[in-house]
Amino acid sequence: MSTYVIRRLLLMIPTLLGITLVVFTVMAASPGGISAQSLIEGQNLEPQAKKALEDYYNQLYGLDSPPAVQYLRWLNNVSPVGFTFDEENNLSGFSFWKGSDLGTSFRYGRPVLDLLEERVPITLLLNALSLPLIYTLAIAVGVRAATERGKVFDVSSSALMLGLWSIPTMLAGVLLIGFFASDQYWHWFPTAGLSTREALDMPFLPHWGSLQEVALLFGTGAVGTILGIGLALKAPRLLRVGLLAGVGLSLGLWMGANLPDPHQGVTVLLSLLLIVAIGGLGYTDYTGLRVSLLGLLGAGLGLAVGAQWGSGEFVRGFLLDRLWHLVLPVLCLTYSGFAFLSKLTRTAVLENLMADYARTAQAKGLAENVVLWKHVFRNSLLPLITVSATLLPGLLAGSVIVESIFSIEGMGKLAVEAVQTRDRELVLSITLISGLLTLVGYLVADLCYAIADPRVSYD
Amino acid sequence: MTRAANSLSPPRRGRSYAAQVAGEVLTQWGARLGLAWIGLLGFLAVFAPFLANSHPLLLSQDGQLDSPLVRYLTPADVTLLALFFTGLILALARASLRTWLGGLGGMLFLAGTLSAALVQPPALTIYEQYRQQEAAGQYDWVVYAPIPYSPKDYQRDRGETGLQPPLASPQEDHWFGTEENGADVLARMVHASRIALGIGFIATSIALGLGILIGGLMGYFSGAVDIIGMRLVEIFEAVPTLFLLLTFVAFFERSLYLLMVIIGITSWSGYARYVRAEFLRLRQQDFVQAALACGLPLYSILFRHMLPNGIGPILVAASFGVASAILAEAVLSFLGLGLVDDPSWGQMLNQAVRSSTFNWWMAAFPGGAIFLTVFAYNLVGEALRDAIDPYLKKSLK
Repeated sequence: MSTYVIRRLLLMIPTLLGITLVVFTVMAASPGGISAQSLIEGQNLEPQAKKALEDYYNQLYGLDSPPAVQYLRWLNNVSPVGFTFDEENNLSGFSFWKGSDLGTSFRYGRPVLDLLEERVPITLLLNALSLPLIYTLAIAVGVRAATERGKVFDVSSSALMLGLWSIPTMLAGVLLIGFFASDQYWHWFPTAGLSTREALDMPFLPHWGSLQEVALLFGTGAVGTILGIGLALKAPRLLRVGLLAGVGLSLGLWMGANLPDPHQGVTVLLSLLLIVAIGGLGYTDYTGLRVSLLGLLGAGLGLAVGAQWGSGEFVRGFLLDRLWHLVLPVLCLTYSGFAFLSKLTRTAVLENLMADYARTAQAKGLAENVVLWKHVFRNSLLPLITVSATLLPGLLAGSVIVESIFSIEGMGKLAVEAVQTRDRELVLSITLISGLLTLVGYLVADLCYAIADPRVSYD
Repeated sequence: MTRAANSLSPPRRGRSYAAQVAGEVLTQWGARLGLAWIGLLGFLAVFAPFLANSHPLLLSQDGQLDSPLVRYLTPADVTLLALFFTGLILALARASLRTWLGGLGGMLFLAGTLSAALVQPPALTIYEQYRQQEAAGQYDWVVYAPIPYSPKDYQRDRGETGLQPPLASPQEDHWFGTEENGADVLARMVHASRIALGIGFIATSIALGLGILIGGLMGYFSGAVDIIGMRLVEIFEAVPTLFLLLTFVAFFERSLYLLMVIIGITSWSGYARYVRAEFLRLRQQDFVQAALACGLPLYSILFRHMLPNGIGPILVAASFGVASAILAEAVLSFLGLGLVDDPSWGQMLNQAVRSSTFNWWMAAFPGGAIFLTVFAYNLVGEALRDAIDPYLKKSLK
C-alpha cells in the first residue's frame, strides 16, 4: 500500500508540471503575451516614469528574457529543490532545502502565498459545508428512489433531479439573491460577503439579555420540535395535511404582506404554492423524511415564536452572522451535486438490490432494512466514493461562480480577478494549488476505495 | 404463385441499429419534449434575421419596392439558410446518413465560399433611419419583422432608458423588456440562440474528435503511449475546466470561433477516458485480431472496425457534453469574459442583479432559456442512454 501511495505521489509531479506548462504556454502564446509593457499599459505615467517602471518589472520578474527561460526560472523558484541565486542574479549554488517561493502578485504587490493563505480557507469552508449536505441528501433520496422503483416517488424525484441538475448555478444564484436578498422582495439574507462589519467585533456565540429569554427560546423551540415530530408520527394523514396546509397558507400570507409593495396576485399565488408544497410534506409515506422535515419546521416556528415574545436584547454573534451569510452560497453549491449524486445512488442501489446476494439475504428472511442498509448499501458506496473525486473539481469550479455572484473573497473570485488582470504569478499558483487539491482528492478517493472494498488491493 | 414467391423472397432487412436506437429514444416523452425545444431553437437560429430585425422586411418608397432586410443579410445568414433547406430536402428524400453528411458538407463549402464572395451587406447600419423616415411619412407602407428590433438596435432615438421591464410603456412593445443599453431582450435572445447552438455542436465535435483520437491511440497501443496519454488526460482533468477556460479566454482575443475551439480543447479528456476503456476491451476481441492478421492499415482497424463498436456510450456522453459546452459559454459570458458586443444568454443574465436592484426579466428569460436548453440536452442524453445501454434497460424492465 505504501509503495502504491509513493508511486502515486511521484506521478503527481509530472502532472503538476504539465498543468503549469499548459497554463504558462497559453499566457506566453497569447497576443501581446505577458510583458512589462502589457502590465503598465493604461497607467497614465510620464515616459520616463513608464520606462523606470518597465525596467523595474523586467528586473523583478525577468520579463525580458525568452518565455522558456522565464518558465524555468519560475519553476526553480517554486520547487523546494533547485538552484539558488544571489542578489545580482548570479548562480550561487544548488540547494535541496531552499524552500519554495510562489512569487509576488503583479496586481496586489503582495506575496502570492499570503493571498492564498487568506483565500483558500474560505473556499474550503464553502466546500466543506456543502459536501456533507450533498451526501446525506443524495443518499436519502437515492436509496428511497431505488427501493420504490417505478412508483410515484421514484418517477417524480428522477424528473426533479434532472431538472435541478440542469439549472445553471448562476441562474440559481441570481434568483436567490434577487428574491431573498434584494430589498425589492424579501430582504432576509445579506447580498454579499461573509460577515457584516459589526459582526467582527461581536462575541463568537449569540447573546441574550437575560437567562429567562434563553430559557424561553429553548422552551418554545423544544415544544415546537416535539410537536412537529409527534405530528409526523402519530397524527392521521388528513389532520397532518390540513394543519400543514394551514401553516403554508399563513406563511404565504405573511410573505405577501412583507413585500415592499404588496400585490394581491403574488400573495395568492405564493400562498397556493406553499399550501401545496408544505401540505404535500404531510402526505408523504416516508417516515424519516416526514419526521426530519416536520421537526425542523416545528423547531423553526417555535424559535420564531420565542423570539417574538422576547424583549429583543439579542446580539447575533459572529457564528450566527457567518452562518446567516453562508446559507445562500452553500445552497447554490449544493443543489446540483445533490441532484447528480442522488441519481447515481439510485442506479448503484438498484444494481445491488437485484444482485443474487441481496435476493439470497431476502430469501433467508432477513429484515428488509437489514438487507438494504447492511448489505446493499455498503456495496453501493463504491461508485459514490469514486465520484466524490470528480465532484471536487466541480465544486472548486462552482465556487468561482458562487463567489463571484455573492462577492465572497475566496479562491474562485481571486482566480477570476487574476486572469482578468493578467496576473501571471497568481494564475500559475492558483492552477497549481487547485490541481494539487484535485489530485490529492483523487488519491484519497482511491485509498477509500481500497478500504471500502476488500477485493481491491494496490500492491 | 406470386404469393409463394413473395414468401420465399428474403425477409425485409431489419432496421439498422441507429434506427432502432432513434425509435427507442422517440418513444420517451422527455426526449420528445427535449428534441422539440432543440428543434425550436434551431428554427429560431436559422430564421433569426427574419424574426427579429429593425430593417423593414418590405417597404414601398415613392412607388418603388425595397427590402432592406434582405439587403442586410450577412454571409453567415445566407449559409445557414442554405444549409437548412439542403437538410430539409435531404430529410424529405429520406437520404442515408452518408448522403446527409456529404450533402451538408458540400453545401457548407459551396454556400460558404459563394456567399462570402457575393453577399456584401452595407458596412454601416443606422437603425434610426427607418423610424425617422416612417415618422416623416416618406414610406407608402412598411412591413416589419415580427419583432421589429435588431439585437444591436440600442433605441437611442426614442429616448428609451436601459433595463426597462417588459411592456413598460404602452407605445413600446418590448415583450421581454430592454437590456442595459436599451436593446430589445427578445431580439437579442432570438439571435443568441445561434451562439448557444453553434457553441454546443461545434465545441462538442472538436472535443469528441480530440478525445476519440487520443483515447483511441491510448487504448489501442497501451504501454508507453497509454502512460503519456493518461498524464495528458490527468493534466486536463486536474485543473477544473472552468479555470483552464478562464485562462484561455482571458489571454486571447474574444471571437466566437476561438471560443468554440477553446471550449473543445478544454473538454476532451472525459471522452478520451471513455474511448480508451472501450478500446482496451475491444482490442482483445477476435474480430480485431482477425483484422490485424489480414494486414489492414491502422486507421482502418481503429476507425472502421473498433470505433463503431464502442461509439454508443460515447454518443451518450456527447449529448451531455453539448449541454455542458453551452453552459460553459454562458458561464464565461456571465463572468464578463465572453463575446463583447454579440448577444449571449449568459451575458444578459449577468445584468439581472446590478447594484442591488433585481431586474427579474433579465434573470427569467435568458436564464430560463439556458435552463431549458441544458435540460433538453440532458433529457435527450438520458433517453439515449436508456436506449443504448441494454443492462440498464433490463433493470428498468
